[in-house]
Amino acid sequence: MGVQLPFPTPQIEYSLLLPVLVILGAAVVSVLIEAVAAESLRRTLQPLLAFGSLAIALAGCVGLWDQRQVVAQGALVVDGPTVILQGTLLILAVLGALLMMESRVDPAGDPFAARASTIPGSADERGFGARRQTEVWPLFLFAVGGMLMFPAANDLLTAFIALEVFSLPLYLLTGMARRRRLLSQEAALKYFVLGAFSSAVFLFGSALIYAATGSLDFAGIADAVSADPTSGLLLSAGVALLLAGMLFKVGAAPFHQWSPDVYQGAPTALTAFMSAATKVAAFGALLRVMFVALGGAAWDWQPAVAVIAGLSMLVGAITAVVQSDIKRVLAYSSVAHAGFILTGVLAASPKGLSGSLVYLVAYGFVTLAAFGLLTVVRSPAGEATDVQQWAGLAKKSPVTASVFSLLLLTMAGLPLTSGFTAKFAAWSAAWGGWQTGVVVIGAVSSTIAAAFYLRIIVSMWFSEGDDAVVVALPGLGTRTVVGVGVASAVVFGVAPQLLLGLVDGVGVFLR
Amino acid sequence: MSPAAYLALAAVLFSLGCTGVLLRRNAIVMFMSVELMLNAANLALVTASRMHGNLDGQVFAFFSMTVAAAEVVVGLAIIVQIFRSRRSASIDDASLLKL
Amino acid sequence: MTASPALLVAVPLLSAAVLLLTGRRSDRWGHWLGCAAAVGSFLIALNLVLSLAKQPHESREISQTVWTWISVGGFNVDVTFTVDPLSAVFILLITGVGSLIHIYSVGYMEHDDNRRRFFGYLNLFVAAMLTLVLANNLLLLYVGWEGVGLASYLLIGFWQHKPSAASAANKAFIVNRVGDFGLSIAVMLTFVTFGSVAFPEVFAAADKASSTTITWIGLALLLAACGKSAQFPLQSWLLDAMEGPTPVSALIHAATMVTAGVYLVARCHPIFDLSATARGAVVAVGAITLLMGAVIGIAKDDIKKALAGSTMSQIGYMMLAVGLGPIGYIWAIFHLLTHGFFKAGMFLGAGSVMHGMNDEVNMRRYGALRTAMAVTFGTFAIGYLAIIGVPPFAGFWSKDEIIKVAFEHSWVAGGAALLGAAITAYYMTRVMLMTFFGKARWADDAHPHESPAVMTIPLVVLAALSAVGGWALLHVVNLETWLEPVLGHGEGELPFSSSLLLPLTLAVVALGVAAAWKVYGAGADIPVSAPRGSWFIRAARADLGGDLFNEKVLMQPGQRLTATLVRVDDSVVDGAVRGIGGFTTALSARLRQAQNGFARSYALVMVIGAVIVALALAMVRFA
Repeated sequence: MGVQLPFPTPQIEYSLLLPVLVILGAAVVSVLIEAVAAESLRRTLQPLLAFGSLAIALAGCVGLWDQRQVVAQGALVVDGPTVILQGTLLILAVLGALLMMESRVDPAGDPFAARASTIPGSADERGFGARRQTEVWPLFLFAVGGMLMFPAANDLLTAFIALEVFSLPLYLLTGMARRRRLLSQEAALKYFVLGAFSSAVFLFGSALIYAATGSLDFAGIADAVSADPTSGLLLSAGVALLLAGMLFKVGAAPFHQWSPDVYQGAPTALTAFMSAATKVAAFGALLRVMFVALGGAAWDWQPAVAVIAGLSMLVGAITAVVQSDIKRVLAYSSVAHAGFILTGVLAASPKGLSGSLVYLVAYGFVTLAAFGLLTVVRSPAGEATDVQQWAGLAKKSPVTASVFSLLLLTMAGLPLTSGFTAKFAAWSAAWGGWQTGVVVIGAVSSTIAAAFYLRIIVSMWFSEGDDAVVVALPGLGTRTVVGVGVASAVVFGVAPQLLLGLVDGVGVFLR
Repeated sequence: MSPAAYLALAAVLFSLGCTGVLLRRNAIVMFMSVELMLNAANLALVTASRMHGNLDGQVFAFFSMTVAAAEVVVGLAIIVQIFRSRRSASIDDASLLKL
Repeated sequence: MTASPALLVAVPLLSAAVLLLTGRRSDRWGHWLGCAAAVGSFLIALNLVLSLAKQPHESREISQTVWTWISVGGFNVDVTFTVDPLSAVFILLITGVGSLIHIYSVGYMEHDDNRRRFFGYLNLFVAAMLTLVLANNLLLLYVGWEGVGLASYLLIGFWQHKPSAASAANKAFIVNRVGDFGLSIAVMLTFVTFGSVAFPEVFAAADKASSTTITWIGLALLLAACGKSAQFPLQSWLLDAMEGPTPVSALIHAATMVTAGVYLVARCHPIFDLSATARGAVVAVGAITLLMGAVIGIAKDDIKKALAGSTMSQIGYMMLAVGLGPIGYIWAIFHLLTHGFFKAGMFLGAGSVMHGMNDEVNMRRYGALRTAMAVTFGTFAIGYLAIIGVPPFAGFWSKDEIIKVAFEHSWVAGGAALLGAAITAYYMTRVMLMTFFGKARWADDAHPHESPAVMTIPLVVLAALSAVGGWALLHVVNLETWLEPVLGHGEGELPFSSSLLLPLTLAVVALGVAAAWKVYGAGADIPVSAPRGSWFIRAARADLGGDLFNEKVLMQPGQRLTATLVRVDDSVVDGAVRGIGGFTTALSARLRQAQNGFARSYALVMVIGAVIVALALAMVRFA
């Protein structure tokens, strides 16, 4: 005999969850390694584990290519968009990990503080010297695991958990820079406080939507919304708060203000990974919420998203003009890019979905490479991120200047680069209909944006430089990251059909 | 008693928490205000669960409590660290990154 | 066997890649590779044009689709290179004159450490320019358009160690951006209106679009043409561009790139055919620039700048002709070709003079060079006779036709063209006399000598073309018939007897020459430092206010707005952009203040954002 359990034994499709499970499993093992392995051993084991698990997950992801299924009792979905987003995230994670390993550009060591708990400037801190710490690896793996779950989440509960699982490690990693530690810690504090605030907003939004519809999973919400299209205040308020929480993560204006500060303060290797991967994961989830749960009410949320998209493009492009720090310029440009992607979301059509996905893939690799390249230009005080310090770079290293120019031009959307392909894909979805106005705003902001990209390019090639700034020769890892970024910019620009075809092949969200 | 009252209470608590985040300078108090917002959400979830007669909301509330605990760990680590560096837990003092 | 059009572009492109990527390793043979690539592409072009000539007259075309660039739904953009009679004459001009200039540069740049890089850029330019003229859709044309802009930028600033060269490069780049903006607008409008950017499809559907749209597309194209071809009001960069090495001035800023604007209008003539407004604007721009350039040419003492003023003016002629509609297209292209011969020849001649005079450019420091540099003098003189339009030299044939069709259009256009011919005769005679005749006014350390054969041979070839090219194009090649399938054909009517025109033109030219002879001719004493001159000369020396225009109209209002709010970062942003940039910068500074570093204020902005989202949702739901 016994009590009849209200819950049936959950059925888990382990093979379909392979990528997520492998990464989260590896993260747990990674914590164990931190606890039991000797320091020298950890330094070999941790990267090995990270790259190994990423490779297996990536292989698993490729194997899921044709799968279209709701799994884990409806908590997660494996469908075309999931697979392509997870694949992109895993590749970005491999590249991000390569940047985190880089220890050749900075004579002081790798990008992370030898021990994050020491007080900046203390004797204690100096005692650790160039020691390489391994605590970043479990944090990194948890972040990747959460990001993989986020775009696959099929109910608000899973989405919330995934959001937190990838956010919390990022808050910590942000505060761990080896140099300029006060700024790094400040960035971590701001990121954490604002991130926690936005999570709370997200959670309350979820609660209100649940109260209005009686359902947490997206399909149930969609049914309730279409059954009662006039379901009033509670749902509207819930959707607004949920959107606000997610728009914070994608860094859309006016929820963007954390991003310049955090991007600047965080270790650049992490900024690179975070700016690319967070955007991919968060947009993936946003797209699923908007298209699956709220797809029936597209008319309701389109004006709101249009406002946010327009604001993001303008604020990002305009504010970037006067920035003097290259990391901040890239941060604001990522705000503008969030607006460009939202233009695709706005279309609320399969074309809009594929346009947004194309944009995410193209943007991710290029932005990762651009931040990766920032690490090699150095002054005695560390990375030289002031725009002035980049003047005359072409004379010191024509290769660095050329590559960075190409990456900037890609972000500006020059034809024959992947940036053009991306903008084309996102905008052609929104063109026609009333969204045309937003596309026009997009065109205006990309003209403004081109101005500040060109400003950097011009100063690199045609100004006299500061002799204290040198270009360090990076290790193979950073070179790979930059190489992949450049290759993606050129290949997806010259033969966009490769990317467009790939994304078109994945189809739409599974309900 | 109508469940709507509980929802109203949740909204009030959420607004209080929100106001706290905006007004309080001490990072720890700010963080407590965020916790208040999370708990307001929990109350709303449990109420709605009762309204709709399913358990999803209650399960969600348990999960969110766990998440809140994890958030405390991370948050306090960051706040303590910055307090050790700066001898201040005021969020306004940490404003070197700007413009 | 017919060569592939794509190969034509690929050869110089590959060579440029090799030269720029192999670095110092290819210093020893790099310049020869550059020349070989140019000559090779000339041979390919020749092969293509000969094959084209074998095809039936009405449907001459060789197309090659290299790959489909974009294919989404019904929208296709192919990378297709098309050789038709119009692009055929261009590829011959670009690769032919280009080859000569490559060969000349071997001698001219001999003492430059970066000669290899120079040839890399030149090859890059040739590839981009060929892409521009071979493109069969606006988007690919845009790629070539940006490519030539980039190459021009790199070459103007080639001697970066000179601050003047760097700032000239920046100016050219920025002014050109204004023009490029026009082209991007035109591309967008075309895409929106026709759902395609391919020339055949667009032109076939052009008459179905509304006339307003067509006019806007035409005006946007004109803006683009003004930027690239240094036409009023975007002309100011060309004079500064003379900071680049002289072969660059000859190839890019005289013979080819600056004529891209004329090509663009001629290529898109079905658009202009449908809009009298756009055509009128083209005529006005051409007439103003042709007079402006000529006046600037009078006042400049720098031989290259005098020639640059002349280039502006001659392109003004082409613009004028191309704006006249079907009666003018062919003559614009004809003048473009003859101008390519004689102006390239004269620029190279000027380079040869500078080469022998320690890079002196001031004509007041020349004089009596005809004996010291006999070949240069002879070839320059032929170019001179060609440009002022003395029969039977090349310029006579083309300019005479333009003056004729201008009169067929209106008295104003014709009058401007005729007046321009007089001023041209005046300033070119001035250049001629100051450089090669009169007393020697050389600097003390100058030892003028003739240039090596590698430089004089291209001069001789170009001089030969300037002498007989016009007649040959008209009567041997039958350019008129050749271009007719692409550009159409129109007949106009002169408002007076056509037998009057030739004597009139020649009389006007003789007047110009005589006037210059009186001032600068035998026995005239030319001071080594420039006299103050009349207000007219002073205005012309200041480029007729080209920079002043930039400053007053584009810069100052923006600056004033900016100054009240924020100090502008003016290290790089310059000229035209600053006006628009000023507004943006000011707004930017405002927005920047919101980024005050306080996390609580960020949270407040987030709350406001959430409220905005909520309101937008509520507006739809409850409105």
